[in-house]
Amino acid sequence: MQRILTVSVMAILAAPGMAWAADAAGSSDMAKAFAVLAAGLGFGLAAGLCGLGQGRAAGSAVDAMARQPGAIARIQTAMLLGLAFIESLVLFVFVIAVILLFVKS
Amino acid sequence: MELIEHPPILHIPAIPDHILYTWIVMAILVVVSFVATRRVSLVPTGSQNFMELVLDQFVKELDETIGHEGRRYLPLIATLGLFILASNLMGLVPGLVAPTANLNTTAACALIVFITYHVIGVRKQGFIAYMKHFAGPVPAVLKPLMFVIEIISHCARPLSLSLRLFGNMMAGHILLAIFFFMMGFDGMLGWALSGSLGGIVVGAPAAVIMVVFVVGFLLPLKILVAFIQTFIFCKLAMLYIAAAVEEAEHH
Repeated sequence: MQRILTVSVMAILAAPGMAWAADAAGSSDMAKAFAVLAAGLGFGLAAGLCGLGQGRAAGSAVDAMARQPGAIARIQTAMLLGLAFIESLVLFVFVIAVILLFVKS
Repeated sequence: MELIEHPPILHIPAIPDHILYTWIVMAILVVVSFVATRRVSLVPTGSQNFMELVLDQFVKELDETIGHEGRRYLPLIATLGLFILASNLMGLVPGLVAPTANLNTTAACALIVFITYHVIGVRKQGFIAYMKHFAGPVPAVLKPLMFVIEIISHCARPLSLSLRLFGNMMAGHILLAIFFFMMGFDGMLGWALSGSLGGIVVGAPAAVIMVVFVVGFLLPLKILVAFIQTFIFCKLAMLYIAAAVEEAEHH
C-alpha cells in the first residue's frame, strides 16, 4: 500500500517535469506552477508537523501544570518559549513560500 | 498581493511605508512617555500609573531572568518591547501598517540585540575569556569543532529572532487581507448584492459567518499574537544577555 502511494506521488510529481522538459517555450509558466506547488506542499507539511510538535509540547505542559499548580507561571514561560522556537521553523517555511509566490524571478 | 491589499491611509511618496509608520510609533511612544513623566508623583495617577504598570512587568521579567543586575538593561529591553508592542498593535487597525511586518524593521531590532549582548559579554569578561566560552566545556580535541558550531548558532540567533517576529506579523496581515477580500464587494458581499439566487442563499450567510469569524476569532488571536511575540522577543533578548553575563560569575 505504502509503495503504491509512494510511486503514485512520485509519478504525479514527475509528470509535470517531463512535460516541462518537452515544452521549453512555456518554461516560465512551468516554473511558476512548480513554485505554487512547492509553496503549498511545503507549508502544508511544515504546518502539520508543527502541529504535532506543538501538541506534544502543550500536552506535556498541561500535564506538568496539573501536577504542580504552584509552578504554573514558570511552566507557562518555558512552554511559550518552546512553542515560539517550534513555530519559528514554520515561519521560515512561510517566508520561503511568500518569496516563491510573490517574488517574480 | 497588490490585488487584495488596500494601500495604507497615510502615504508619502519617496518614503517607504514601514519607515513612515516607524516614525508614527516613535512619536506615539515619545508623547506617551512625556505625558507620563511630566508631573511625576509618588502616588501615580493616570498615564504615569499606566506606564509604571507596564514597566513593572519588564522589571519583574528582568529580575527573574538575569538576576540582581538585570535592571541595568531595563532601558534597552523596555524600549524594544514597547516599540515592538506598539508596532504590532498598530497592524490591527485597518489602513495602518505594522512596521514589524517588514523584515527591515525586525532585522534592525534583532541586530541591536545581537551586537549588544556580545558587547556586554566582552565588557564583562574580556575578549579572550569571552571567546573561550564559545568552545564550551568539551575535551581539547573537540574545541575547534565546538567553536565553529557555536559561532554558527550565534549567527542564527538574529536570523531566527527577526524572522519569527516578521513571519508572525506578515502571516496575520496576509490572513486578514485575504479574509477581508473574501468578505467584501469582490467576494461574498458582492455576490449577495448581485441579486442572484445563489448569492442570496449562500453568499449572504457566508459573509455574515466570515464577519463573525474575523471579529470573534481572528482579531483576538492577532491581539494575543502581538503580545506573545513581544514577550518572546524580549524574553529571548534577556536570555541572551543573561547567558553573556552569567558565565562571568562561574569562572
